[in-house]
Amino acid sequence: MSRLRGPIGRCRRVTTATSPTLVGELALHHLDAAYNLGRWLLGNEHDAADAVHDAFVRATRAADTYAGGSARAWWLAIVRNCCLARLQSRKREMRHVSLDGTTGDDDGPARSALERLLPHSEADDVEELLDQAQRRARIARALDALPPEFREALILREIEAFSYREIADVLQIPIGTVMSRLARARALLHKTLGGNAASEVTHGL
Amino acid sequence: MDCKIARDALPLYFDGELDRTASREFEAHLDGCAICRVALIELDALRTTLRQDAPRHTAPQLLRKRLEKFAATQAREGAPIHPRRGGSAPRWLAHAASIALAFGAGGMAVTLWNSPRHASELAQTSMHSQLARDLFASHWRALAAASPVDVISTDRHTVKPWFEGKIGIAPTVHDFAEQGFDLVGGRIDYAGDLRLPVLVYRHGQHLIDVFVLPDTAAMASAATIAESGYRIDPVKIGTQNAAIVSDMDAGEMARFAQLLAAAR
Ligand SMILES: [Zn+2]
Repeated sequence: MSRLRGPIGRCRRVTTATSPTLVGELALHHLDAAYNLGRWLLGNEHDAADAVHDAFVRATRAADTYAGGSARAWWLAIVRNCCLARLQSRKREMRHVSLDGTTGDDDGPARSALERLLPHSEADDVEELLDQAQRRARIARALDALPPEFREALILREIEAFSYREIADVLQIPIGTVMSRLARARALLHKTLGGNAASEVTHGL
Repeated sequence: MDCKIARDALPLYFDGELDRTASREFEAHLDGCAICRVALIELDALRTTLRQDAPRHTAPQLLRKRLEKFAATQAREGAPIHPRRGGSAPRWLAHAASIALAFGAGGMAVTLWNSPRHASELAQTSMHSQLARDLFASHWRALAAASPVDVISTDRHTVKPWFEGKIGIAPTVHDFAEQGFDLVGGRIDYAGDLRLPVLVYRHGQHLIDVFVLPDTAAMASAATIAESGYRIDPVKIGTQNAAIVSDMDAGEMARFAQLLAAAR
């Protein structure tokens, strides 16, 4: 499947001599997937870009830790670890900040939901734009409301089209857990969206 | 295939995880079962909604350019992947030839140091080298894991009690946040068959593992051991034997070691 078609594909091991270059290629090839995951985990562009940058540096240095399997899953696992590290230190900062009585919360879900309204729009009709913006805001809110471990599994599956095996490798969990998280995520999202989104689309087909 | 089994198989079918035979069986059931058809349509509708309206954020051009430049520089200079691999490679490296660690339940195999050299020295592996290898392995496992800690620090009073009752050595726990070394938390990890308390700190982007060692497993040498940009420094926490593993540079390692040594 598509997971075998990266620049590295399923070669057994990156050779030490060429690995930084190959890893660089791999990472750049899957940069959108990496950034998208970071963006959904961290909620804003700045942190996502920084986390992906950290991950890139780390991946090129740790090229010899790749030992077969899905290369993009290996790369996204590193990206995810860098995102979690950033979340961790952000939580810490926010705790310190809140002691001062200021929130400093300018990249919370509300803003990131707003930011999602505008980019990637191909519609030129104002009505359509507005409609799309509202739908996007609603989906973004619903996704943000999911527990993060459900959200990341769902994004990797539905948006990045990763296989169960790849998701398991990225999240470092057994495949059975991937399946149960996906099931829970889908059920929760379906409930949040009240089945409306689903039936709208069904009728539209 | 009865409906109960079919409903378990439904997401796997939808996600393309069933093999051909099982898919055929499922489709045969689907022909005669409205409930499963509706469930499948719902899954598909949800996916369509997400693919349309949960936009995939594409990486900013600026980031892409920055990384391309970084990669080009690395390629030109030759990336410092094995900066210290040369004639002076520590003996314990020999033992580390082609060690593949299975990373957690995810099953991602990670090859650590695949140096085929010094195979003849395998037999001479000392306790010292074995321990160093185990500590590196533990650190790398933690880096690859979802979380490097089992207990998250809110302050040192949450970490120390967590170890008590779980492990023989009660580590001295200090936070050095003011000095730039934040206590992240702790975990219990294995080095060979030793269960060791590990204190986890963060300094900037560096994750630091402090392995608290029993007296019987002190590092045989006081020298730094380095590989692939990662280092082990034997240290004392007050009077307790310990070892730091991180990818900080020598200066930062030394500064952190001093803080630990001065801790009471
Ligand atoms: Zn059925």
